[in-house]
Amino acid sequence: MAVRQASLGGVDVDLETKTNVEKLKRGIAEFYDESSGIWEDIWGDHMHHGFYDPNSTISLSDHRAAQVRMIEEALKFASVPEDPMKKPKSIVDVGCGIGGSSQYLARKYGTECTGITLSPVQAERARALAAAQGLENKVSFEVADALNQPFPDGKFDLVWSMESGEHMPEKAKFVNELARVAAPGARIIIVTWCHRNLSSSEQSLNPDENKLLDKICDAYYLPTWCSTDDYVKLLQSLSLQDIKAADWSEYVAPFWPAVIRSALTWKGITSLILSGWKTIKGAMVMPLMMKGYKKGLIKFAIITCRKPE
Amino acid sequence: MRLLTHNMLSSNIKGVTNGFPLRIEVEKVVEKSVDFNPDFLKNMLAKIEYKALVEASRIMGYAELPDHAEPSMLESDDFLRKFHHALMELHLEEGTLVCPQTGRKFPVNKGVPNMLLHEDEV
Repeated sequence: MAVRQASLGGVDVDLETKTNVEKLKRGIAEFYDESSGIWEDIWGDHMHHGFYDPNSTISLSDHRAAQVRMIEEALKFASVPEDPMKKPKSIVDVGCGIGGSSQYLARKYGTECTGITLSPVQAERARALAAAQGLENKVSFEVADALNQPFPDGKFDLVWSMESGEHMPEKAKFVNELARVAAPGARIIIVTWCHRNLSSSEQSLNPDENKLLDKICDAYYLPTWCSTDDYVKLLQSLSLQDIKAADWSEYVAPFWPAVIRSALTWKGITSLILSGWKTIKGAMVMPLMMKGYKKGLIKFAIITCRKPE
Repeated sequence: MRLLTHNMLSSNIKGVTNGFPLRIEVEKVVEKSVDFNPDFLKNMLAKIEYKALVEASRIMGYAELPDHAEPSMLESDDFLRKFHHALMELHLEEGTLVCPQTGRKFPVNKGVPNMLLHEDEV
């Protein structure tokens, strides 16, 4: 209970926790410094799940379209306006990877987007990719911490966190920052990995479930997981409006098997061997993600809301 | 880092109330040509901190931007072009951003600012 509470950030974090948080951030940066290249090589610039029709069969070339669809479905879920007067004019991509979402959103809305990541390698790569696409004047990237965003209050019309929330060690602080940098009327979109919601009689997941998640946490530099309900409660506590949440696990089901298949190709294996131990460990843990989804333990969640005017 | 980006960054060190604008220390400035978009610029004038832009552009070696800007100046092509140049075409490739309150230095390498805080600053 104390561990879950600390992960939500609901109590003052002690020195040991602070040190662990620093270690985690370094681990995240190093993991992505090491792994981004191989991911980009095989999968391209979107470092997130694709959105698929349930029970569809997909070829590798369809995955990029599915990753783009994930972005569009998330925007639709959050009812982000497309009307030229009401569409977002400033966007922040929190946990931007190599800028796939940033580029897409900047192009879609014809506006500025800035992305933050803990990984200097990713930020530099993001910048180069944007420049290569002629978007250098629309997207910018900084090495920064999502828990301490280097922006003044109320800066952005769209606050975007696509599969980065699972890395955040203090969920309350994370959500607080998302809300802080959101302008009045702005939409906040969080797409992230959660564990199943606890029933009213449960204080925590059962030991086997925690064991499985611990192995995944270790390989992907994730702090303790929380549930979709936890996110909803945090958003409610900040008086954010139009809070919506959904379980999209069935729409991402083909993703991990596809990633595993891509890792087992000749190119995948040789790239993994060349990339480093952190990346290899990440690859080896992929079947555990599938197991987690199958058991209904891991959920692919979307949570969106609007900051009051 | 363009000055448009600089105009949205602030020091977020714990306890800092006056973290904007970050002072710039230049090591390398690069000028990059960007398509001139008057409509975009007209929208931006109201959104940015103009004084911070003027100061920053001077430090980056561009002294043409007038000290103050009135909305009526947006009718002037001359002003728009200077505004465009300062906001979009001056890049800090290497240098430092300095917290105005604490003097803490945030490096800029290959055009990417590193705004990560140390353990004792959060």
